Amino acid sequence: MADGRLERFLNRFGDVRGREARAALTLSGFFFLITFTFYIIKPVKESFLIGFARPSWWPFADLATALLIGFVVALNARLLNRLPRRTYLTACLLFFIASLFVFWFVFDVHRTMQIMTPVADSSGISFFLWLQVAIPKFWPFPVFVFCFWADVFIVMSVTQFWIAVNDVFGPHQAKRLVGLFVTGGLFGGIAGSALAALMVFARLIRPEDLLLVCPALLVLALVTINIVYAEQRRIDAAAGDGPVSAAARVGYLESFRAVKRSRYLLLLAAMLASAMIAGSLINYQFKTVVKSAIENSGDRTSFIAVFFLAILAVSTVFHLVTTGRILKSYGIRWAILIAPVFLIAGSLAVFLIPAGAMLAWVCAARGGDKTFDNTISQSVRELLYVPVPAEVKYKAKIFIDMFVNKFATGLGAGLFLLLYSLRRFEYRADQPLAIVREIGVLTLIFLFLWLVLTRLVYREYPAVLKKDIRPKWTEGRQAVAAHVDVDLTLKIFNTIQSRERSTTLYYMNVFNLLRGNDLAPELKELLGIKRDELKARAMDSLFDVAGGVFFPGLEEAIADTEFQSEIDLVFLLPSYQEIMGRRLGEIIGSASEVDRIEAANSISRMVPDPPTLQALGRLLQDPSAEVVVYALNSASVHRRPEHVPLIVRQLANPMTSAEAQSALAAYGPGIEDLIGPILRASDEPLEVRRAIPEVLARVGTQLAADILVEELARRRDDVEQALVDALYKIRADRREVRFREKAVRPELLFLIKKGCDISLNPPGPAGEAKAALNIRIKRIFDLMTLMHSPEDIVNAYQNILQGTARSVDYSLEHLDNLLDRELKSLLFPLIEDLPPEERALRLKKAMRLK
Amino acid sequence: MVIKTRESENVVIFDIEGEIRRSDTAQTTLHSLVKAQLDRGRRNVLLDLGGVEFIDSFGVGEILASYISTQNLGGKFKLCRISKKLLLIFQITMLHKVLEIHEDCDRALESFEKA
Repeated sequence: MADGRLERFLNRFGDVRGREARAALTLSGFFFLITFTFYIIKPVKESFLIGFARPSWWPFADLATALLIGFVVALNARLLNRLPRRTYLTACLLFFIASLFVFWFVFDVHRTMQIMTPVADSSGISFFLWLQVAIPKFWPFPVFVFCFWADVFIVMSVTQFWIAVNDVFGPHQAKRLVGLFVTGGLFGGIAGSALAALMVFARLIRPEDLLLVCPALLVLALVTINIVYAEQRRIDAAAGDGPVSAAARVGYLESFRAVKRSRYLLLLAAMLASAMIAGSLINYQFKTVVKSAIENSGDRTSFIAVFFLAILAVSTVFHLVTTGRILKSYGIRWAILIAPVFLIAGSLAVFLIPAGAMLAWVCAARGGDKTFDNTISQSVRELLYVPVPAEVKYKAKIFIDMFVNKFATGLGAGLFLLLYSLRRFEYRADQPLAIVREIGVLTLIFLFLWLVLTRLVYREYPAVLKKDIRPKWTEGRQAVAAHVDVDLTLKIFNTIQSRERSTTLYYMNVFNLLRGNDLAPELKELLGIKRDELKARAMDSLFDVAGGVFFPGLEEAIADTEFQSEIDLVFLLPSYQEIMGRRLGEIIGSASEVDRIEAANSISRMVPDPPTLQALGRLLQDPSAEVVVYALNSASVHRRPEHVPLIVRQLANPMTSAEAQSALAAYGPGIEDLIGPILRASDEPLEVRRAIPEVLARVGTQLAADILVEELARRRDDVEQALVDALYKIRADRREVRFREKAVRPELLFLIKKGCDISLNPPGPAGEAKAALNIRIKRIFDLMTLMHSPEDIVNAYQNILQGTARSVDYSLEHLDNLLDRELKSLLFPLIEDLPPEERALRLKKAMRLK
Repeated sequence: MVIKTRESENVVIFDIEGEIRRSDTAQTTLHSLVKAQLDRGRRNVLLDLGGVEFIDSFGVGEILASYISTQNLGGKFKLCRISKKLLLIFQITMLHKVLEIHEDCDRALESFEKA
């Protein structure tokens, strides 16, 4: 079948996308074959147990499995750790195939009591003769061995299947595909049950002969799983993802420790154990009522067979109709709650219903538990494993799914036996309602525990998911800040530049560099040239490329505190202030740009009296950008409100805009009220309005953030990028600033819808449209940081853009858990790897367009 | 200052002649040119500074702003043929730790391909 047709066909059962269709179908086929096999084995097991073991032994079969499964887990963990995955799966399947022949042989010998076909080898004959004696002697011990083997088979096979799913798919893929897998399993169950029932009912074959059908199915499963891994190796190599390999060599204890070390896995194990214990107790409620209601053994067996077939049918319908939709629309967050909530409600009903309705109630309770277990609970349970790091996942999965699972079932049986012995149920066998209600109290305790644990597990889930979403690159500002002192760098470049302009300016800048204080040019003359020359010569080396050292004597100069003090004292002299005040007027009127620059620079060290501030105002309007830049620096020192409009005007000039932003930001808190209205004024130049958000971002107050959000809500396209950039910066730098979801979410939704518009109605050629959409998506993610952890959002964005197939999938899954339904439905078609037609279809559906 | 833009494979190359300084800048700045390329979907930017004799604080600000814009979009921003004098200042100011600098523009282009 062509990939497209295959994809369309599979989409009936799950959300399957192009390239994953073959792997998904093959894995689903594998699961089909496994459950097909198990549901053939299951009736044989039940039939033999009922036929050859007394009823009082039944709970002990569960307990025995619970105790012995630990050894299997240990062996399995060892194999999984030592063997490559493909070899491990092949070896396990071959073992099960061989075992089936052995069991068939044992049951056949027991039934016929005849020696097998004679063989030429004499020792072989002796062996079969010994078996003929041993099997009847130890009977029904082989039945218990078979029951245990059957439990091991189903637990291991299902665990192996989900291990394969984890190997091949990421969490987001798995969430989409889990519906298809579970469908495969349910169909396998129905096929197996139907085949077993028909063959035995029609007396075509004996029950034990059904075991000979199973090896054929398992051989097919063997072929199927090898195809999956062979294909996966090819895809991994192409995508750059690491190949699936065996984990570190650790044993059973290490598997236990791996679970113990992780809070998430401990909670997961506890959650699954609670669910299993509750399920086990519901099962005993069911058995108690059925035993009481249907006394005839044949009728009871028939009723149970029909009941389980009905459960499979209901599970299939329920699964096809709901599981995929619930997971897609509501995610794991809500899907995880469904089973415990419904079962609690159902279990509470036992205290209200009359005795006559008990059979109906218990069928509903047991049926509900099994249906959820077959469908949504199974899906969620497996999805919860997906984000666990690979080196831990398989150890944990085997331990939890095999040991904890069976141990919890055994614990349920133990609790039932304890209650049974404490309450002496055998004397009240005529009052099933009382017994069921007493078990019901215990069941409710575990159901509530299950419910609480689902919340705790889900709370931990995003943290586990995030571990696999690592940043792909460092954000630009962070990368610069990590290595470069930008202010100092700019000062150094200014100093170098000023040398060619004016010696005075040069010295001034040298001293700026030396101690961070400004130095008026006139002061240089008072201090004498010699000392300055010494400093200047030090700077000369900047231009002497052959020289090895920059700033020789720099440390000496910084240490020269007496010299620095002298400068400070001169600045404070009233005579200096007076002379400078008188000279400023003359200098400002000067035609010399250098003089005006020096004056603009000097003002920063002068007392801010009215003439000085007036002079600064004039310099801020100087036609020379160089002069204005120095004036802006002085304005940032004096921070006078009357200068704000003049500084704002410089925002429109690309040559002075950055310095004007710095000057305004230096005003600090309080400037918001002065520049906020300018941001809102549509008659202000666009360049000015675009530059103001950055100033507000640097001020970084709550008021600044509120102004930006308010302005964003006006939805003006021309300043949108600047507003989002500024908000992103505040969020990154000022964690104390709060953003109300109520205010941000509508804007986020609006931005996403604009992205959808671009995708549906491209503004130009494909390349341009894609670029425009990419810019829009970046903006959306930046704005999203206001509502969620900035690191999480940035990492998700980076991985979606440049990650491997797996990290993209983890990122999508993380977003799936963070965002609400409406945002997801609109955003995901924009960021997922979809064919254009599919993308358009999903977007139209999300935007409710025809 | 004269800035010419050309493309080689998936790299946008800005050939700059003259001095990157405030007084020589027209309304279109280096950063605005880089941003325009980023808006067009280009993500690999190379500045050929072979013809640049001097950079002032404004020029450095433009280069850093261009680097930040490119980096934030997951792009690569590199310099080539920078003069020894400028390289020395870049080293003092640690700019070389942030900006990837290549002696030869062909090598720089190859490095984009490798990444």
